[in-house]
Amino acid sequence: MPIYLLKKLVTLPLILLGVSLLVFVALRALPGDPARLMAGPEAPQEAVDAMRVRLGLDDPLPLQYLRFAGAALGGDLGTSIRSGRPVTVEIAERLPKTISLALVAYGIAISVGLSAGMAAAVNRNRWPDQATMLFAIAGASIANFWLALLAMNYFAVELGWLPLMGSGTWKHYIMPAITLAVMPTAVIARMTRASMIEVVGQDYIRTARAKGLPERVVMRKHALRNALVPIVTIIGLNFGSMLGGAVVTESVFNWPGLGRLLVDSVRFRDYPTVQGVTLVAVTAVVMMNFLAEMLIAAINPRIRFD
Amino acid sequence: MKARGLPNVRKGRFVAATLFAGLLAGLPLAAPAATLNVLQSEAPRSMDPGDQTATFTYTVLEPLYEGLVRRNKQLQLEPALATEWSSDAAGLVWTFKLRPGVSFHDGTPFNADVVVKNFQRHLDTKRGLAASGRIRQVLASVVALDDMTVQFTLKGPYPAFLSLLTTGPALMVSPKADAAGTLSRLAVGTGPYRLVEYRSGEYVLEERFSGYWGKQGGTERIKWTWTAEQSVLNMAIQAGEVDIVNPLPPVFARMVKANTALTLHESDGAVVFFVALNLKQKPLDDVRVRQALNLATDRAALVKAIMFGFGRPANSPLSPVTPGYDASLNPYPFDPAKAKELLVRAGLPDGFSLSVAVQEPEARIAEVLQGMWAKIGVKLEVRKMESGVWSNAAFANPDQKAKEGTGAILTSWSSGVNGADMQLRPLYHTASFVPTGANLGFYSSPALDGLLDKAAATADEAARNAMYGQAQRLINEDAPHVLLYYKKDLFAAQANIQNLWTEPGGGIAVRDAVKP
Repeated sequence: MPIYLLKKLVTLPLILLGVSLLVFVALRALPGDPARLMAGPEAPQEAVDAMRVRLGLDDPLPLQYLRFAGAALGGDLGTSIRSGRPVTVEIAERLPKTISLALVAYGIAISVGLSAGMAAAVNRNRWPDQATMLFAIAGASIANFWLALLAMNYFAVELGWLPLMGSGTWKHYIMPAITLAVMPTAVIARMTRASMIEVVGQDYIRTARAKGLPERVVMRKHALRNALVPIVTIIGLNFGSMLGGAVVTESVFNWPGLGRLLVDSVRFRDYPTVQGVTLVAVTAVVMMNFLAEMLIAAINPRIRFD
Repeated sequence: MKARGLPNVRKGRFVAATLFAGLLAGLPLAAPAATLNVLQSEAPRSMDPGDQTATFTYTVLEPLYEGLVRRNKQLQLEPALATEWSSDAAGLVWTFKLRPGVSFHDGTPFNADVVVKNFQRHLDTKRGLAASGRIRQVLASVVALDDMTVQFTLKGPYPAFLSLLTTGPALMVSPKADAAGTLSRLAVGTGPYRLVEYRSGEYVLEERFSGYWGKQGGTERIKWTWTAEQSVLNMAIQAGEVDIVNPLPPVFARMVKANTALTLHESDGAVVFFVALNLKQKPLDDVRVRQALNLATDRAALVKAIMFGFGRPANSPLSPVTPGYDASLNPYPFDPAKAKELLVRAGLPDGFSLSVAVQEPEARIAEVLQGMWAKIGVKLEVRKMESGVWSNAAFANPDQKAKEGTGAILTSWSSGVNGADMQLRPLYHTASFVPTGANLGFYSSPALDGLLDKAAATADEAARNAMYGQAQRLINEDAPHVLLYYKKDLFAAQANIQNLWTEPGGGIAVRDAVKP
């Protein structure tokens, strides 16, 4: 295990290096010039050139990348083109907002997904199963952008029960968290159902039942524990796509998190901020996958990584 | 907002719920009624008015800053930080007497030295501030004659100089804050409001400045938020969550109009939409062909289809809010029969093929034109492009346009109240061929060039506007563009909000807005 941990820790910087290079190149391949965007469409060329010099965008690209990477090693992600503030400050301000929203959403997804998946497996081919599967298919296919607008129109505009957007009170969490949770809930429910059904057919479950254990204990202690490995894997892997969902959800609900920062920054071709947010997101995804692997090892000691 | 009673719950549970809410929220405070909530379509780009050129940023900064002059509710110029001014006969030297007893929000006194520093930061090419361009084109120098008097010397006559002094780069910032380099996030002006907090991902909060020199008619606080989602702008005003949304997308205008709790504010806008024809490409070099396209365009239908009725058919290359605009012109009423006849006379009885380069969000305009022009035998090929790609195609030189087969470019231009010269010179003057200017179709008329140059050097307003009247007729006659429509500026407010007005170009003035 320590060797595996070490290997993981060594690959993280390599992944970050690769991603940073990719994002750096991809951003600059996009049409659109941040200096022109900042100076406005009717600004004379001379003003645009002055802006370009000020933003440090007149240097050759390899030099720009080296400067960015070098500073990033020291924990400095540069200065936002749009706001003029350090990118690290921009991110630090938004990160807690995204983490709290993601935690609430993932809490919902895991608890609802697990229970619905178990209920479906136990009641296979009966209505709880069919309802769960219907939800799982719908949930995985509906665009959360559309779902968000629908919910906003109904609960905030028509009924006036919930605040339309922004953050600040617990009520502000309800719609964005549920919207964000729908997709992972569906995925987790499906995986739980499939995995449970497979496990329930195993001999040791028959043994547990035969020795007279109550069904609840059989399901929780014997079936679920063994069924958990693929579920935890899928939970870990889905974290990345949930971050992707947060980009949309935060933008629609005006949630002041990293996702919204990313969208605003791409629109302004704010290179340093986009690079910074991407690096943070990639780190989070890698760490989350790592955590899931650790958890799997704890659940099932037979699994060895090294 | 609907009034709701407290839920009928047991005390213990209510306390627990409150605690829970408090835990999640940190500070569960409802916004006090004396706050004016404004939702706009984009985030402010800077807290420094001289380092941005965006209408919706200007709107946020306007309560915080003042220039030497400003526009009142009737859009007329009135004294602000200057009490009186005069210019020499040629309009080259302008002298301003400054208002005494004014200080910035940080306590710095306002005087002639401050004004000089404010303009010098734009004349200094090393600063590279976003809005410096226009100041540098117009202004030669600025000096303090005494502590309360400044004198500007212009590079040439510039009739719209006073208007220029109301724009972002001419708003006075505290030199102390500018030197400290904190202006981009901490606004320090002399305005009736001061900045309380700017959280770049969330909001800008402003409150009345107690040391303000003038009258303060507005609400206690102003809170600005923003969203890029068009439907959210509409939902926020419908739900009563905000007091004002700016701009309101035209697709929702009828819905707002139908809601008695809301007021739709509409005003003539400064944006002119048009199709620039490439005069270096056959058969567009023939004026009859260009006139035929103009006659085949049903502008009223276009306004209805694209702007949901919230626009005006274009009758001139100037917008209705631009000084010198001639409302009486009607050069090309919709007349497909006459258009067809002109094409026959031009030797094109079967019509011809033409391509138009258009940015994706505006593609529908081109598609509507496609249908209209098909009726006179013109086959319009619509080339939809992402904005960066479009920019390359539109600003290409004649050879490249010939190679790519770009026959026309659909776009818009806006110079607001800042004068006809800023609308006509970049689009129609021979010296403005792309890529230097924005004469996208290489239209060249020595008569028009002469008129524009003469008008720009004429200080007398009536004489100048007469020349622009001639220029409008000349351009209409030569038809280098197919003029389409003028967009209306729309914003929505709760019906109880009073004393708001629009500044041409889409900005709104909220500094005196009253919320009962």
